[in-house]
Amino acid sequence: MSEPQPKAAPPRLSDAGRAELDTLRSRYPTTEAVLIPALHIAQREWGGWLPDEAIEAVAAELDLPPAKVYGVVTFYDLFHQHPVGRHRIRVCTNLSCQLRGADEIVELLHQELGVGEDEVTPDGRCSYVHFECLGSCDTAPMMMVDDDYHENLTPQRVRRVLKELK
Amino acid sequence: MAAAFEPVLTKNVGHPEALALQGYKRGGGYEGLRKALGMQPDEIIEAVKASGLRGRGGAGFSAGLKWSFIPKGNDKPKYLVCNADESEPGTFKDRLLMEHDPHQLIEGCAICCWAVGAATCYIYIRGEYTKAAWILERALAEAYEAGILGRSVLGSKFALDMWVHRGAGAYICGEETGMLESLEGKRGQPRVKPPFPALVGAFGAPTVINNVETLCNVPHIVTRGADWFKSIGTNEKNTGPKLYAISGHVERPGTYELPIGIPFRELLETAGGMYRRGNLKAYIPGGASAPILTAEHVDLPMDFDSLAKAGSMLGSAAVIVLDDQTCMVRSVARLAKFFNHESCGQCTPCREGTNWMELLLDRLEHGQGREVDAALLLSICKNVAGNSLCALGDAAVGPVKSLVERFPEEIEQHVRERACPFPPRRYFHDAA
Amino acid sequence: MPKVTINDRTVDVEPGTNLVQAALKTGIQIPHYCYHPRLSIVGQCRMCLVKIEGMPKLQAGCSTLVMKDGMVVRTDLPEVREAQAGMMEFLLINHPLDCPICDQAGECGLQDYAFKHGVAFSRFQFEDKRTYPGRERIPLGPNVVLNMNRCIQCTRCVRFTQEVSQTGSLGFFNRGARTEIGTFPGKPLDDDLASCVVDICPVGALTSTRFRFAERVFYLDKKPSLCTGCEVGCNITIEHRRGQIKRYKPRFNPDVNDYWMCDYGRATFERYRQLPRLATPRAPSSHGENGGAQPTGWREALDALARGLRQRGREGPVAFLGSGFLTNEEAYLFAALADLLGTPHRSVPVDLGRPRTIPNLKGGITGREYAPNRRGAELAGLAAREGGLGAADLLDGDAAARCAALVVCDSDFGAAAHRPEFVERLRRAPFLAVFGWADTPLARAADVALPVAHHAEKDGTFVNVEWRVQRFARAFPPPAQVRTGVEALSDLLSRFDARWGGHDAGRVFDRLARENPAFATLSWEELPATGALLNVPEAATPPAVGIAAEEDL
Repeated sequence: MSEPQPKAAPPRLSDAGRAELDTLRSRYPTTEAVLIPALHIAQREWGGWLPDEAIEAVAAELDLPPAKVYGVVTFYDLFHQHPVGRHRIRVCTNLSCQLRGADEIVELLHQELGVGEDEVTPDGRCSYVHFECLGSCDTAPMMMVDDDYHENLTPQRVRRVLKELK
Repeated sequence: MAAAFEPVLTKNVGHPEALALQGYKRGGGYEGLRKALGMQPDEIIEAVKASGLRGRGGAGFSAGLKWSFIPKGNDKPKYLVCNADESEPGTFKDRLLMEHDPHQLIEGCAICCWAVGAATCYIYIRGEYTKAAWILERALAEAYEAGILGRSVLGSKFALDMWVHRGAGAYICGEETGMLESLEGKRGQPRVKPPFPALVGAFGAPTVINNVETLCNVPHIVTRGADWFKSIGTNEKNTGPKLYAISGHVERPGTYELPIGIPFRELLETAGGMYRRGNLKAYIPGGASAPILTAEHVDLPMDFDSLAKAGSMLGSAAVIVLDDQTCMVRSVARLAKFFNHESCGQCTPCREGTNWMELLLDRLEHGQGREVDAALLLSICKNVAGNSLCALGDAAVGPVKSLVERFPEEIEQHVRERACPFPPRRYFHDAA
Repeated sequence: MPKVTINDRTVDVEPGTNLVQAALKTGIQIPHYCYHPRLSIVGQCRMCLVKIEGMPKLQAGCSTLVMKDGMVVRTDLPEVREAQAGMMEFLLINHPLDCPICDQAGECGLQDYAFKHGVAFSRFQFEDKRTYPGRERIPLGPNVVLNMNRCIQCTRCVRFTQEVSQTGSLGFFNRGARTEIGTFPGKPLDDDLASCVVDICPVGALTSTRFRFAERVFYLDKKPSLCTGCEVGCNITIEHRRGQIKRYKPRFNPDVNDYWMCDYGRATFERYRQLPRLATPRAPSSHGENGGAQPTGWREALDALARGLRQRGREGPVAFLGSGFLTNEEAYLFAALADLLGTPHRSVPVDLGRPRTIPNLKGGITGREYAPNRRGAELAGLAAREGGLGAADLLDGDAAARCAALVVCDSDFGAAAHRPEFVERLRRAPFLAVFGWADTPLARAADVALPVAHHAEKDGTFVNVEWRVQRFARAFPPPAQVRTGVEALSDLLSRFDARWGGHDAGRVFDRLARENPAFATLSWEELPATGALLNVPEAATPPAVGIAAEEDL
């Protein structure tokens, strides 16, 4: 991972993150069970993705081999191994959305943002990817921006959403 | 007639006051749990068995029977894991239940835990459902506050912890043992079975895994009785209310609660008919893994057994409707891409088979297909189906095999014309 | 015990036996890749699919356990063969056709099963196979190289590092058709057991850095033997071509090393290449000139040695310095010579180092000494005696100078045989005789030097750290002028007493077994393949005499 960090990242989870993790630990009979929650926390703290040092920090925190943690990171679509934009856009392109114009939404994002899928806009604001079904087929086409669903998309609506992203 | 059906599971949808504990209680909420705590656990299991409730996640296994497999006695911890990893393309019913009526799910989980003797319940929710997770977390906090969860459930000696566990984006974690692996902090790779989770599940302990919708039915079965539940539906084996999530080329896509076994035609009418008055070409009755049905199956009752008899399945009852302007090859290629993307990669037939199927379908759609490809696809399907470690392999075969069997002329046309015969379709005129 | 019927053959098996193992009992092989008897069962490769009566779908043999009577299994039905051919096709569609440059060719699970269960043509007509650019020759650690293009994702290696070596240094990354194995940056696969992943890799994805391109495996002669790296006594196969050892592979012995051995042990044969060979006997010229040791024949050399020992033995003490590399039989004869000369000065020095543990079902065996048979050599008669001059006196003190003669067997007994200050100390003995396979500084300093076989060239027994005696046979004959230690010592002894002539290792062992209660009831011919535990009281186990730290090696 050669990309520079957005900020000088701590070599381990923040105190707040570790406190959050400690609360979670009590809920499970094994330490390993908090790995995925821990990675969510780490990804939040490392600016939306998980560089090697974040993986090592989590591995050290939970006393797991880093190779195992890396295996988990690469298994799940919500964990990123490359830098992402400040805002992450996921467009559902699975069948129900495809049947209502999702591919046009992806094309539109490409045109509006001027970058390809999984690339970060030069200002660091956005990155977008096509995604598998997000469980909002009744409001197709749809996309997820960070944690929020934007549904019944039209080109106008997409442009409006993009405009509001800082 | 469908319109006359009074909703059970979705009665609080559109009533935001039910999101809060007080609002939920005003509508009779947690009465089922209170009643259940006064019953013997076995009585509850018997009632759920008698109701004929079958799993709403896809496999359609008897919920009561599943609960009865959990060993009795308190020597070992037991778990309930609620499967809220709704990821089957076309499915969005559980999200509705969680976002609009979280306490109904909590109540269902609590009753199940009491019935099987579990002291801990994890609600494994897919990572993308951030809003639903947040709503559930808030509802759980309320329930703890009100003494519904914690050391003494509703003042009884029953102690119960319930937590939301967020996934991180992997369809395979909806497979029950993949989910357990993921819950334990591992890659969500399904386990070999046996042993089944009822004996060796989460953290090596006996575990019940039920879908959100399945568990949401439980409070109603306890309060209203198994006979009431059985009075809804097609027959003894297909009972109760059912959420149908319909999407694609219909006018009013959405989740509709109807008696199980409603004919497809009525469901389509309920959803406002075909999109822009198009003609029905095909529909997928139970999520992406269900074999595709055609217009000739329009009167089929949408229940477990009728659909199985027609060579498809009810699955998650996620109905995707396709009109006659739609290219079936392109549609199935998209599903094949999905299954290839979501295959966990551990077992040979699924890892390699889903990949090969995607490559072949993609080539066909782009006009580079060969005459042998249809037969080859069937042969791959045969080698994957039944041979993979978990059901994902079979799921991936569903749409592909039905494409070859039910739309052979469309494949031939792609090969003959060396291009997709359907003109690119634009849904937005002012798009890119 | 439950009965299971496989292809009409019925066997009794322990409850919980899986079908792959049960079938082996009936002589039927169920093909498999991911299953390994010492790893968790994951049922991934799907090669072991079989038909079980009463089950609608084919079942994985590895994960199907026989729990009660009456299971009826078929592995020979068309549907089973079709499924196996299907799995082979899936595994091969993306596999590179690089067998001609692949080390695994000849011992490859894909080649074997493709021949047996596969089809001869490809239906995967795409321009490109799946490749992992830049991941064709990745060193996972100092001893293991990964070629991801060849991997079939069986995860044996990953499970090995998680479950057996417990380092967790390998992981399974990504998903679906892009899954791959690897290490985490900065955390290489460099533990003592690292190369075991090469052994268990069924294909050519993981290869040994040392063995890469060293030899086509089908040209190798394979002989069962024992590792000499330490006192664990790992059972190995020596794989050589015309006497050139190419590699050591672990050989299954559930009581000792199970399926494993350490990377240090695997490298020990390189010593046979690195050190110069002592190829001919050397002795002072019979004309009495002061020219030191000169190349000569065996008879002359042994005569000179016998003569020297007789003369010097009258002048003062004769000391015997043994070695943990001697077989029990050599040690016995060496001790017999000391007995004949009536000397108490005998000992077995070994080098001590970092402990290494080889896991087995009982937990594992740990070795700390850099020689295989210090215990056996001592049992056979070389144990230091009260009042005798021992290894410490000779190596750390000036005892050699007080001796009239010193006999060392062998020339590569430890680091001290190479370091000038030790050699100089030993050389202070007025008469120095050295047996050995290596022409070490010590051998070069000797008055009489006798070239004897190294362990791949001789028969014998070793006693491991758990007092298990194990037999091994020579893998190939020694060079022309080289004799085995047993031959040489027996010949030398016969110069003192003719009854010692003509002994071979078997005869010496049986003699040892008759005389030494620890070996009671054992015989050379009937020694079990997995070895036999000796009856040695705890008190009779003196600690090793350590003379060098690990960094010396």
